[in-house]
Amino acid sequence: MQRRSFKSMNTALAAAMAVAAVGVAAEGVSYRQAADMLYLVMSSDRAVYARKVVQRLTRDEQILTASEHFEDDAALPLPAQMFRFGAEMAADKTEDFSYSLLSLHPVNKKNGPGTDLEREGLQFVADYPGENFYGEEELGGERYFAAVYPDVAVAEACVNCHNNHKDSPRTDAEVGDVMGGVVIRIPMD
Amino acid sequence: MARKAVARTLCVAGTLIATALAASWMLVGGDRRMLLIGETSDAHHQIEAACETCHAAPPFASAAEATKALNKTCRNCHEDGLRAAEDSHARQLFRSPRMAVYWERLDARLCTACHVEHRPEITRRGAVTVAADFCAACHSEGDQDVRKARPSHAGLTFDGCASAGCHNYHDNRALYEDFLVRQAGRPWVAPSPVHKLAALSRAQKPPQAAALQSSAPLAPATALAEPKALRDWAGSGHAAAGVNCAACHAPTAAQDASRAAVEAQWSAAPDTAICKDCHKAQAKTFAQGRHGMRRHPLVAPPRDPSRGLQAIGLEGLLPKAAAAWLADPPQPSRMTVAEARLPMRPEAAHESLDCGTCHRPHAVDTERAATEACTSCHDDAHSRAYFGSAHHDLWRAELAGEAPPGTGVSCATCHMSKLERRGKVATSHNQNAVLRPNEKMLRPVCLDCHGLGFAINALADADLVARNFQGKPAVQVESLEWAMRRAQD
Repeated sequence: MQRRSFKSMNTALAAAMAVAAVGVAAEGVSYRQAADMLYLVMSSDRAVYARKVVQRLTRDEQILTASEHFEDDAALPLPAQMFRFGAEMAADKTEDFSYSLLSLHPVNKKNGPGTDLEREGLQFVADYPGENFYGEEELGGERYFAAVYPDVAVAEACVNCHNNHKDSPRTDAEVGDVMGGVVIRIPMD
Repeated sequence: MARKAVARTLCVAGTLIATALAASWMLVGGDRRMLLIGETSDAHHQIEAACETCHAAPPFASAAEATKALNKTCRNCHEDGLRAAEDSHARQLFRSPRMAVYWERLDARLCTACHVEHRPEITRRGAVTVAADFCAACHSEGDQDVRKARPSHAGLTFDGCASAGCHNYHDNRALYEDFLVRQAGRPWVAPSPVHKLAALSRAQKPPQAAALQSSAPLAPATALAEPKALRDWAGSGHAAAGVNCAACHAPTAAQDASRAAVEAQWSAAPDTAICKDCHKAQAKTFAQGRHGMRRHPLVAPPRDPSRGLQAIGLEGLLPKAAAAWLADPPQPSRMTVAEARLPMRPEAAHESLDCGTCHRPHAVDTERAATEACTSCHDDAHSRAYFGSAHHDLWRAELAGEAPPGTGVSCATCHMSKLERRGKVATSHNQNAVLRPNEKMLRPVCLDCHGLGFAINALADADLVARNFQGKPAVQVESLEWAMRRAQD
């Protein structure tokens, strides 16, 4: 596994926090470790938003709703949207890493696999539940380390929305199914 | 032979002088508009002499650095607008390397991929410089092929995506499919049409102050001898709010009880910067629009010639007069009617734009500013057709007290939309925010009174727009029907 100085990832505050948390020296973190740490932060934040905000306010306390068109509906953004907004904001600030929430059965076609590695990785995490996929690919003349993590439907709300959405190519999803994957890329040069 | 030598010498000398002049304009100072490689696009032409506003990279920067800096300056001024528009093709969506396959087709990370400046021969409306079928770059292959994903789009060509009233590249807030479906079925006009924020705005009264005391330091006797100014002011919101003469003409002395202090500080024609002290939102948005963009805080100031001379090792070597001659010309802070590229009244050519141009400094008349002020300069078909239109009839009825607040439609109702924050309403003076593409007007303006189907058709009918909406739309935009058909399937 190639190693890369983590210094240039100053903007990846979340990742730096993760580094401190597991007691790994900032120098000499492998791409795989860096990606795993980034994923831990982003998946934890997402789970907290889903449980402590969306689930609590919509299902338990029933004082708000969550909606794809949250601004028009004065509602909460869906957890997947929250995740994407974070990815977009990070992409606006840094090229040191990027991440996406993708699927072989995307509601929005732009979130389908766009590269061979994405296709292979998404298929792998769907075929081998609980496993991650790691690889390398060249995009736009640059070499990237890429990691794909399974994205599992954790609540009825997830599968109901995906199964009933008019743009969804898949209508038979069940809780516990792998719906797609989180793809994290780190440039290797 | 001698003649040839003289000619050669003159030629070399001329070339050297021209090169030195061009180099001094570029590196030190001076009016550089002669160096423009092509006509600057509309609106940007107002600030074309302030090159560094856009060209922020230092001299001799690499092409990549220059492009990066150039695109950053676009965002300086346009990012807020794009964010408000919930930009469908925001730059950050394309920065992920997974989008690399598209970078070569149309590099949507860069504003300059579609908006190249100084190229009038290829510049279309909206300062767009790519071919009209640019959507094909990304939406014509594989899963992204809209002709396959949407049966209704099967026979369409890509040159109509962004010109038929269906889609915009950036702002699709009123055009996305679910919104079309939700809005379907609304009548062409509401039973009791009221523009909500306009109604709220007109219900807001200026703060009432205690009556001014006769001993208050109003103005020098010479100023008080101008009956019209005094009469206009007495009927204004300023008078009601206790904003007296000194508040604007001698602001530093306004709190002083001494008339002598007021007279000492008195300015007969105060700069409109004074307005900003109380009207911050209006001043900020004025500088974001075409009327006031020369006042935008990010327009580059004139260069300091001493810095340029220092950079090329000539600082202190030139006589002061020569150094002064090299300075950038002063930049006008106001747009003039004579410089406008839209049809304007010739008799208004001498006008320049600041707060008082539309509001009249003493009367601060918002009703005049909402209509007559516009048409005192603008002289296009749409503006001329306003008087006598249904919108104008409604406006007159509201002003006459025959119709409720918010039912009238002035020029400002549509082109200077209202901003609401925590129950308080202010008028945005950035008419760009709701100008082009005109579908930007749908949500903040049209839909308060009209159904989406009617409004989309009306805005897509250029002749109807020119007639200021006198008549019915002759254009039928099919997107709403297609969206409904798909929702019902």
